[in-house]
Amino acid sequence: MAPIDQITLSTIWHGFQSLCREMRTMMTRTSQSYLISALKDLSVGVWLADGSTVAVPEGLPSQFLGTSFTIVDIRNMFKDDLHPGDVILTNDPYHGGNNNHLPDWGYIRPVFFEGELLFFTLVRGHMIDTGGSFPGGYFANAYDIIAEGLCIPPLKVIKRGVVDADLKKLIFNNVRWPAELMIDTDAMIATGKFAENRIVQLLRRYGKDTVLGAIHEMMDRTERAVRAEIAAIPDGTYTGESSTDDDGTILDQPVTVRVDVTVKGDSVTLDFSRSDAQRPGFINSVYAPTYARATAAVIINLDPALAEFHNQGSVRPITVIAPPGNVTNCKYPATVGACPVNCGTQVLEAVVEAMGKARPERSIASWGKHRGDYTFAVDPRTGERYVRTSFDYDGSAGAVWGHDGMTGPTSLPTLGWVQRGSIEEAEIRFPWRLLNLEARPNFTGHGRWRGGLGIDWRAVNEGGDGRMSTGSSDGDFIQGKGAHGGQRVPRARTFILRGDQKIRVKPHRVDPFKKGDTVVKLSPGGAGVGDPWLRPIEEVATDVENEKVTVEAARLIYGVVIDPVSLQVDQQATAKLRSSPPEQRYEPVINEETLEIEIKPMGGPAEAGR
Amino acid sequence: MKQLTIDVGGTFTDCLVLEESGQLQRFKAPTTPDDPTQGFFATVDKAARHYGRTLEQFLGEVEQIVHGTTLGTNTLITGRGAKVGTITTKGFRDIVEMRRGIRNLHGSMFDMFVDPYRPLVSRRRSLGVEERTLYTGEIFTPLNEEELRAAARKLLDMGCTAIAICFLHSYANRENERRAKRIVQAMAPEVYVTASHDILPVFREFERFSTAVISAYIGPALTRYARRLQSGLKERGCNGRLLMMLANGLVQVVDECVDRAVYLLNSGPAAGPYGASYLGGLHGKNNLLSMDMGGTSFDVCVIKDGEIPTTADSWVGEHRVAIKMVDVPTVGAGGGSLAWIDSLGLLRVGPQSAGADPGPAAYGKGEDATVTDADLVLGYIPADYFLGGDVRLEVNRSHQAVARIGSRLNMDAKQAAVVMYTAINTVMSNLITEVCTKKGHDVRDFTLVAGGGAGGVHAAAIARQLSIPMVIVPRVAALMSAFGMFTMDLGLEYARSCARREGNLDFGEISGLYVDMRRQAREDFARIGIPESQLAYKPTVEMRYVGQFHEVEVDLPAEDLNAENLKTLLANFHAQYEKLYTYSMPWRAVEFLTYRLKVTAARRPVEMVALGRTAGGVETARRGSRMCLFEGDSRPLETPAYDWDRMAPGHKVSGPALIDDKTTTVLVPPGFTCEVDAYHNLVMRAR
Repeated sequence: MAPIDQITLSTIWHGFQSLCREMRTMMTRTSQSYLISALKDLSVGVWLADGSTVAVPEGLPSQFLGTSFTIVDIRNMFKDDLHPGDVILTNDPYHGGNNNHLPDWGYIRPVFFEGELLFFTLVRGHMIDTGGSFPGGYFANAYDIIAEGLCIPPLKVIKRGVVDADLKKLIFNNVRWPAELMIDTDAMIATGKFAENRIVQLLRRYGKDTVLGAIHEMMDRTERAVRAEIAAIPDGTYTGESSTDDDGTILDQPVTVRVDVTVKGDSVTLDFSRSDAQRPGFINSVYAPTYARATAAVIINLDPALAEFHNQGSVRPITVIAPPGNVTNCKYPATVGACPVNCGTQVLEAVVEAMGKARPERSIASWGKHRGDYTFAVDPRTGERYVRTSFDYDGSAGAVWGHDGMTGPTSLPTLGWVQRGSIEEAEIRFPWRLLNLEARPNFTGHGRWRGGLGIDWRAVNEGGDGRMSTGSSDGDFIQGKGAHGGQRVPRARTFILRGDQKIRVKPHRVDPFKKGDTVVKLSPGGAGVGDPWLRPIEEVATDVENEKVTVEAARLIYGVVIDPVSLQVDQQATAKLRSSPPEQRYEPVINEETLEIEIKPMGGPAEAGR
Repeated sequence: MKQLTIDVGGTFTDCLVLEESGQLQRFKAPTTPDDPTQGFFATVDKAARHYGRTLEQFLGEVEQIVHGTTLGTNTLITGRGAKVGTITTKGFRDIVEMRRGIRNLHGSMFDMFVDPYRPLVSRRRSLGVEERTLYTGEIFTPLNEEELRAAARKLLDMGCTAIAICFLHSYANRENERRAKRIVQAMAPEVYVTASHDILPVFREFERFSTAVISAYIGPALTRYARRLQSGLKERGCNGRLLMMLANGLVQVVDECVDRAVYLLNSGPAAGPYGASYLGGLHGKNNLLSMDMGGTSFDVCVIKDGEIPTTADSWVGEHRVAIKMVDVPTVGAGGGSLAWIDSLGLLRVGPQSAGADPGPAAYGKGEDATVTDADLVLGYIPADYFLGGDVRLEVNRSHQAVARIGSRLNMDAKQAAVVMYTAINTVMSNLITEVCTKKGHDVRDFTLVAGGGAGGVHAAAIARQLSIPMVIVPRVAALMSAFGMFTMDLGLEYARSCARREGNLDFGEISGLYVDMRRQAREDFARIGIPESQLAYKPTVEMRYVGQFHEVEVDLPAEDLNAENLKTLLANFHAQYEKLYTYSMPWRAVEFLTYRLKVTAARRPVEMVALGRTAGGVETARRGSRMCLFEGDSRPLETPAYDWDRMAPGHKVSGPALIDDKTTTVLVPPGFTCEVDAYHNLVMRAR
């Protein structure tokens, strides 16, 4: 066919992009899941019938960049038995679901035009429950994936527009809060239907050949641009590694993901073979989410001008190797409950570190880790059981080359996509009263560009006794790395305050709490990029004025001498101090007695601190 | 007595005069950014001279002035607002800086190389004090007045000229905030003090605090401006009423709006849809797309069944504004939009703009190709009669600029200009599609009302892209906002949050909220001399299914909710939900969150007079012709040009044709016809 003109190309392309944004809006406005609606733990996208990614502008990369595998498996599984009006549900990491972990339910809809299967749409969100031993998912120590919850391989829950009532009964009989999950199910299915209508309209207007031609043209253009970017990176092998505190079953023993990134010409290979073997605990990942995070980590290192285009063309130059039995490609029936946080974060961080070595001017430092928990108990106001999780208590972004990190609850595996909830909304909804949600000065990875500030979150339990599962937390021991001399992420801490008692709560455990307990989470900001000793003096002075950095930290960490009363910089003393590199480096550390952030000399890498 | 509307835009200050006869007169003067009152009086002076009066004589004959100004929006966007301090509940000083997340939802998730959010209030000027209200409204910790005074003192010592008081759950009980506000006001009467419950007494702290901070940020500048204007008018003998146009589509006297300055954001652009609605009504159309294409931005509003939509989801730049505003989505597309080649080798236009300075290459300063340059190269706009000849356009400079961008794509200047013209139309069409389909409407059922100085050249092409059958280009197209201000009601909006489930509603409690809001409305309107008998009340409630996070606003069936009409309300909610999202969940319980009351006092409706037909044919209005190149053609066509002023009702032309006017040009492309209606507007239809 004739080449597609520029205008049609742009029109069709932006049509798919805006479709995805509208899908996301529809979901967040109709869902009842705190995670999906308020926190945007949600992904939507459009794929070609062969599984090629058309448009994935918004969501969690782990939830959608690996969906190509799911679609290919669905095609193989159902062959010709796919029809207009079918809706397929899966949450299974294994058996063709290629999913992250069980709470992420994805509704996939084949889209037909004039009798021909042309597209798939996906709406995937984090459900508030998926069965298993404890509410909400993310609990450590399940015996195997069966114990982690209901495993739904790709199954038609709607056949030619008719709901399979038996299947529905089976599924919703095996989850907690079935009515709530049904709300989200309705919302996801309706959103998929809405997307189908829009795609069919587009096909009617421009014709099949033009629409598919435009998509392939955009994929080819994107691939060329990505290859040009990769070709600009010096050939070679760059390494990165990142660890999680432990696997939740064998406690206090870190698990490490290692990557060798080999750039050759205009393609790149990410090899995870040197990572630890798969673990008995729940921090394993199957291949598809590893692939998704690894490719996302390459993509964010590319020219930001490409950010609004990414599609199948972006991932064609990228190969991901993860041998079976590795923590990055675990075998059935390994548990994967914590995968989105651990070792999902580690996969991303390892690649980001390696890419930053290859291309310093695109360095991205580690961010604060997710500090999540699933708190479950009975709400005395209603007598109903509840489960609560949140991103509100997460720390902040790490620095990137050229920019400080932002202050605000976030974590790297979401690419800063998720949001915090509203305190007022949460107090209406859950029996916890917030005492504090505020940034803590100094509590970040310092650098030429520093991370956003750490967060101090405290809430008192006004409901009944219950338990908290800290399976989605990390970062009490292992510290995320800075880049090019930027400081690492400080350690995080969680405590339960009960009268005079201060009870330490580590990640990957399930701990009881009582009525009247106060939970304190101290979550650090992200790591720094570049040597803090080189941060411009006026930026340090501004941070001191704004109570983001103390006078003490300015001197010890940044080499900037500031008068504590007038807050004026002593230029002479600063010049003298900065005339040579510091003899001793300092970093922020939590004092577990006072819960203050103190500035301490940096020790060796294996120092105590568990 | 005459009525005036005055719209101070970024480039021009527009003035419309509605004469006693019902005729409209249009005047324009340059905006004077340093002191916008100068431009204001300059345009009034032009009007006065038109009537052979002195400024004072003329203003003495003015009964009412409705005024829209971009001062609020500009103050916010350019960062020239007051030094604001905030006093918050202790332990929550960073709520605004943290926002809801690190992105405001407009950037791409794959772009990590962005600066952190810079809040309007730096951290040292955000102080916590001991106090706490619960979501039930119970005061858990009374305000610690000593701490409050110390915090206020600290902020005043730092030189803050505005203070925003933002306490948790103040929507449920304003006591602590109110007390704090009074104390700070007493300490510093000259300082602009605002409390979050005054601005937006609705739950969700980030949204409420951010809105209050913005109000404080732009409050002092707007207060100074409004006062200067008031006294300026008085000194010049004007005894008429000055009304300000608000973001929510209402107008209000100055005294009522300076304390809630955030409502003066978008004052101006929010008026366009009201004008479009009025003009559409003259043609019996109430499904309208109101568009306004100016120099830098393109605004669009979807009017369904005559209803002008509002939204509480707005961002202005990086800042969140959660008051209800007329829903006028905007995109960077206008006469000044720049052409560029993106990283995938495609030609794009906008959102960057050459602005007023340097402006399009044709203005003689800039070098880069803009939409205006493309329009000029294609022959669509006149080089010798742009803005009635006030601005002389340099065709050669445009030609060179467009040729430069074209050479990178192996196109000549004319080809590149066609691509630019179509590309910018596509940007605008996409926005229209997005906002229209998001609401579940088919764009082909709508009539396009094209406003803005650049709207007339692009409207028919947009209509063709979207299969819209009819386009109205108002006689006042270039002064659309000023026109809309004639048609807006005087009013105020009130809200109270009170979260209860369907089964736990206390009708007495709800009734109490409305009694309170109506009492407040009576007092507010009494102060400006409007008796209760003239007030119209519109109560609504924001509801959702239990567990959801977003509400749907539904009209209350009566002024008081009771067990009987509750059923009607619930049925309406399910129906409205279904309309919005294609499904509903009648099996699920509903919860009630926020009660709202919109109170309006109708203004005398504008009555425009229909003009009679004239004897002469349309050729009497012919002013020459231009060579125009159209999409799909290989060579330019000789296209007749007409003078809009000399055209009369009933005159009809077939495309291609051009209709020039001192404020704008309308392009009738091949395939369209165009007729002058009884009010001198142009109506284009696809053949």
